[in-house]
Amino acid sequence: MLLKLQKTYKQHLVYSKLKYLFYIFIFLSIGCSSDNNSSSDDEGYTPIPNPELTFEIPSNFPETTYDLSQNPPTERGFELGKKLFYDGQLASDGVVSCGFCHIQSFAFTHHTHITSHGVDGKIGERNAQPLHNLAFMQDFTWDGATTFLDSQPIIPLTAEKEMNETISNVLSKLENDPNYPEMFANAFGSEGVTAERMFKALSQFMVLMVSANSKFDKWQRGESVTFTDDEEAGRILFDTNCASCHAGSLQTDQSYRNNGLPADPEFMDNGREKVTGLPEDSFKFKVPSLRNIEITFPYMHDGRLATLEDVLDFYSDGVEDSETLDPILRQTDGSLGIPLTSDEKNQLIAFLKTLTDNDFLLDNRFAEF
Amino acid sequence: MRIYILILASIIILTGCSGDSSPNTPEVGNLTLDFNNLIGDNNLTLNSRVYTNNSDETYEVSELKYIISNIVLTSATGASHTIPVEDSYFVINQDGATTATLSDIPVGNYTGIRFGVGVDPTKYPIESGTLNFIPTAEEAGMLWTWSAGYKFIKFEGIYTTTTDEDEPNTFLYHVGSHGATLDNYKEVELSISKEITSTATASQTINFDVAKIFDSINTLSLEEKSDIQVDPENAPKIAENVQTAFSIQ
Ligand code: HEC
Ligand code: HEC
Repeated sequence: MLLKLQKTYKQHLVYSKLKYLFYIFIFLSIGCSSDNNSSSDDEGYTPIPNPELTFEIPSNFPETTYDLSQNPPTERGFELGKKLFYDGQLASDGVVSCGFCHIQSFAFTHHTHITSHGVDGKIGERNAQPLHNLAFMQDFTWDGATTFLDSQPIIPLTAEKEMNETISNVLSKLENDPNYPEMFANAFGSEGVTAERMFKALSQFMVLMVSANSKFDKWQRGESVTFTDDEEAGRILFDTNCASCHAGSLQTDQSYRNNGLPADPEFMDNGREKVTGLPEDSFKFKVPSLRNIEITFPYMHDGRLATLEDVLDFYSDGVEDSETLDPILRQTDGSLGIPLTSDEKNQLIAFLKTLTDNDFLLDNRFAEF
Repeated sequence: MRIYILILASIIILTGCSGDSSPNTPEVGNLTLDFNNLIGDNNLTLNSRVYTNNSDETYEVSELKYIISNIVLTSATGASHTIPVEDSYFVINQDGATTATLSDIPVGNYTGIRFGVGVDPTKYPIESGTLNFIPTAEEAGMLWTWSAGYKFIKFEGIYTTTTDEDEPNTFLYHVGSHGATLDNYKEVELSISKEITSTATASQTINFDVAKIFDSINTLSLEEKSDIQVDPENAPKIAENVQTAFSIQ
């Protein structure tokens, strides 16, 4: 009896030790896996599936400038970026979201005002730029004030005349929101509302805004479209007169130039000189892409020209001389600008309208509602 | 017997596991860098003391801040320890924190330190880590508002010149990088002799000679230019001077 008892006790001991070891074993392997997978943390957050989104470079496009490997867009990262983009909470007045100034149906420009409107109706100095093909741009804004898409939102978020906020304040609003903390965790695989994640999510949303399905693109890719006579005549005129600056598939060589717009006495915006401090950059602005140009009016950095007719009248008759005027706009006979007949202007406009990409403008992925 | 197998198995798992994350968990310690802003032999005093530069201009300092980054420690054996980017960015503020605390440094003797003044333009902002520095930099007023870049050094105050002694003028040097063209990031390398142990936090004083902002490789006169910000000619001169201003006691 005693012997038997001793035996069972021993067995029990063995089993409990085994059990103990088993727990250690499990504990160790858990400790181990969470160590190796640094993203899941102790709070017990379990990542949910978050597939990567494919980013395809259109065959008529150059390589991306954005390093997608550092911030690969994912389903939930994109979703978070989109929510941030359309959220007025990011501004001091709770109203002016990114999407307030960048409206999809106008290729993400602001339409009703010449220069942009920010919080409390404050008027900015520049015309909101369209947002498309940002993954292919070397730097951003009309004067190239930033070289990285990830840090671009700092400017509108903190500018007094735009969203008038501080980054720390935006982050604390997001932290205290009922939805954001979970969305951040789902997008990045662990808990934490951080500046880095906010900027990366916004970039994931914006990087996917690729506009590459206009008639012009299809023509470039040799897909079955034909230009009308006017469009074709316009294309040839464009190649000889405009494509030295509005170059390639992106419709910009991404340089900074002075196209002869008379300096605006109200703003005295000296453009690129603000960034480089160099007098030779004064009144130079980034050559804008002309994609979707039909619907991104008003035109130029300060939105002073209302229609494409006005733009072409400016190029033929309004170019003003200055020290930094681009040499391309000086003709050999000493005249300035680009001589164009009114027929030629109509043909150019017909061509410019082939740059409208309705697939992009109506793409539901980017739509606010 | 089974127990021993299990023990053995768990030992294997245990070592396999720790081997994955950090090889044999080396002993580590902490180091505090203590930035000592001086003029001559004295600590810089804000807003009250009057100093004179080599251009015979007298000045008072109201604000001095700079960004320290990308810190690397080198040891006598030639090995180096790089502080991870996300733990490597600090704002040194004469009117606030003047220390930078570094942790998880492998114990041993270190003979050199290298750090950046400002933010390395090739590294920011997408390479993880530096985007999270943005709120800190913003609170310290080290972000430009019109551009998405950093001010590396912010130095402000008032001055008088020999020609105009009664009327104090303000001066303002904000040196940083902007766009892709103007880069004023500089690296500093200094010899130290410091032992890092796992038991106590070591501390290293680094002197910053404020007078050298005006007078070092280059001489800057406030009368000639008292507001230097986006300035491709003078901002690089200040950055060069600042690079020479750090020393070890
Ligand atoms: C008050 C209106 C306004 C708001 C709000 C606004 N923007 Fe803009 N955005 C502009 C203007 C104006 C420009 C051109 C800026 C310049 O040249 O200085 C611009 C430029 C940009 C560019 C550069 C495009 C290019 O091709 O270089 C990006 C990217 C951008 N905005 C993203 C955003 C994001 C993201 C937000 C929200 C965090 C935002 N914007 C909020 C008006 C606004
Ligand atoms: C010397 C280079 C150059 C040439 C040649 C040139 N442009 Fe431009 N274009 C620019 C620059 C730079 C701007 C932006 C100027 C500004 O906003 O201050 C611009 C702006 C525009 C805009 C306004 C875009 C917007 O988003 O607001 C249109 C439209 C335009 N150009 C069309 C043309 C056409 C059509 C031609 C040929 C007839 C042409 N350009 C020739 C450099 C050039």
